[in-house]
Amino acid sequence: MVQLKKRYVLTQSQKMMVFILSMSLYGLSNMITELIPSFQLGPIELSVEYFAFIPLTLCILFHPFYAAVGAALGEIIFGEVMLGQFGGLGELEKFIGFSLAMFIAGCLVNDPKNRRQVGIAAMTGVIIHQFISCAVDIAKVWIGVEEFEAVPGLAQSVVVVEGVSFLNDVLFSGILFALLPTLYLVPRLYGKIEPLLGMKPRNNKTKYSLGEIIAPRVVVISIILAVTAAVAEFMSESDMALIEWDADFLESVGGWFIWVSIGVAAVVALITIVMLLRKGKKTPTNVDGSQQA
Amino acid sequence: MEYVRKLMDRVSVEGVKIELLNTAYGNGNTFLAKLDPRTLFAWYLYFGIAPWFIHDVVLLIGLFLFMTVTTIMSRVSPLIIFILCLGLLSQAGYLLVVSWIFGGGWDTILPLLVLTTKLSVISMASITVFCSMDPEKLSDGLLSIGVPKQVSFGIAYGYRMLPSLLEEYHHIFLSFRLRGVAPKRHGILYWRSIAYFLKIAVLSFYPLILSIAKRTRTTVEALEAKGFSYAYQSPEVKKNKLSYMKFTIRDGLFITVSALYVCLLYLFTASYTF
Repeated sequence: MVQLKKRYVLTQSQKMMVFILSMSLYGLSNMITELIPSFQLGPIELSVEYFAFIPLTLCILFHPFYAAVGAALGEIIFGEVMLGQFGGLGELEKFIGFSLAMFIAGCLVNDPKNRRQVGIAAMTGVIIHQFISCAVDIAKVWIGVEEFEAVPGLAQSVVVVEGVSFLNDVLFSGILFALLPTLYLVPRLYGKIEPLLGMKPRNNKTKYSLGEIIAPRVVVISIILAVTAAVAEFMSESDMALIEWDADFLESVGGWFIWVSIGVAAVVALITIVMLLRKGKKTPTNVDGSQQA
Repeated sequence: MEYVRKLMDRVSVEGVKIELLNTAYGNGNTFLAKLDPRTLFAWYLYFGIAPWFIHDVVLLIGLFLFMTVTTIMSRVSPLIIFILCLGLLSQAGYLLVVSWIFGGGWDTILPLLVLTTKLSVISMASITVFCSMDPEKLSDGLLSIGVPKQVSFGIAYGYRMLPSLLEEYHHIFLSFRLRGVAPKRHGILYWRSIAYFLKIAVLSFYPLILSIAKRTRTTVEALEAKGFSYAYQSPEVKKNKLSYMKFTIRDGLFITVSALYVCLLYLFTASYTF
């Protein structure tokens, strides 16, 4: 039992190694993605947004905190400072959003050999990151424009533009450059890369700490709830404005339009929560099983 | 194939390396580059945040003109300016087009123009500040305002290692191309070739991750041998490292002129409205 409670501790220099590894790899990939041009098909932009599989893989294989912070810093240093595009305070938002998303993704996995877990974690990481960046972009227009609601069509168009780019990034970049490569790399690197850094592979017995495992779930659920709340809030606000400028549209579609969107958001949130809870129930038995074996 | 070849020309490793050094050390002798980093940070703290909360058009245009002057003073490469303009215009244009679908009209243009002005003031402020500093100055400046030491280490490490990492990646990429078979036909819109190159670009990371892991271990061992962790915690080391930074009369002049300009601008706007 003592073995079970043992936390996954790294020495100072091992933390440093994970940090530098993640920083230089993700930084390098950022520089490469900056060079790849994007293909625009109307509103749908097929661009390689980022190679998210690198921080995801490293967060799953090593301590997620150091890998996530290292990757976020690598993006800023290699992708922005060194290319002369450092944006000052705007980078802070990217840093926090990205490292939070990657950290949560890394914490969701406690068995890197379990492909389903790795896949869910990879997609969750991408979705959280894209959601945070979309929310920030919407907020920027909101703060930047005086009497935001009074400008005809602006509220809806911001939401539509950001929503399209969100779906686009999650479905295109997320699946091609986060989900598939992560599923390919994690089982291959697991057990191979750790000895190179002089540490033992993560396994079911070595946990971070109970608090760290439970906390990310709470965070995920709270973020999903926040999304629902924000969407609802936003819809109700733009609805009031809709009546003023575009009464015909509202009458023909009806007020239920808003409730449909809120309902969809709620259903998505509910499904995710149920899946997470089920996974939460499964994982302890998983750990126990390996303990007995 | 032509498109792909053009892409490959752009990704020439030597070109990227030269471009990097140019952005880093290209403009070391402008007026702004000789200022203390802390002065520039303080200056940026106002011009990077305040525009968000200013809705007055005259005031914004005044700030915009001022930022244009400082951006010219910092002698940024035209490429960065071009990228900035393109980004701002395409974002605003896209929003405008979509807002038309939702029943917006000419009324939507003015707020969007104001927003674009605002964003360009902020971007130019950050270009002025961060492009005029060379990397050492930036990392020491960040260290002096209390940013964790990892950041300044990361900047130094990035400049040292990135060229060799890029070269290594390029070698792996080329060996994948040598051993693999390129698609016979390009497919519609070259999608086969593009998919092939993207797949190689992703696969090349597998050997790279392993070799960088080895390299990282060597680096950290070397750092430890030099007492990095100890120096990391000691405040005396930091003090010693930053002892060369001091405010000069130039800093005072820069801050005074900026403050004076902003005050006059506010006064002018106030008299304009009444």
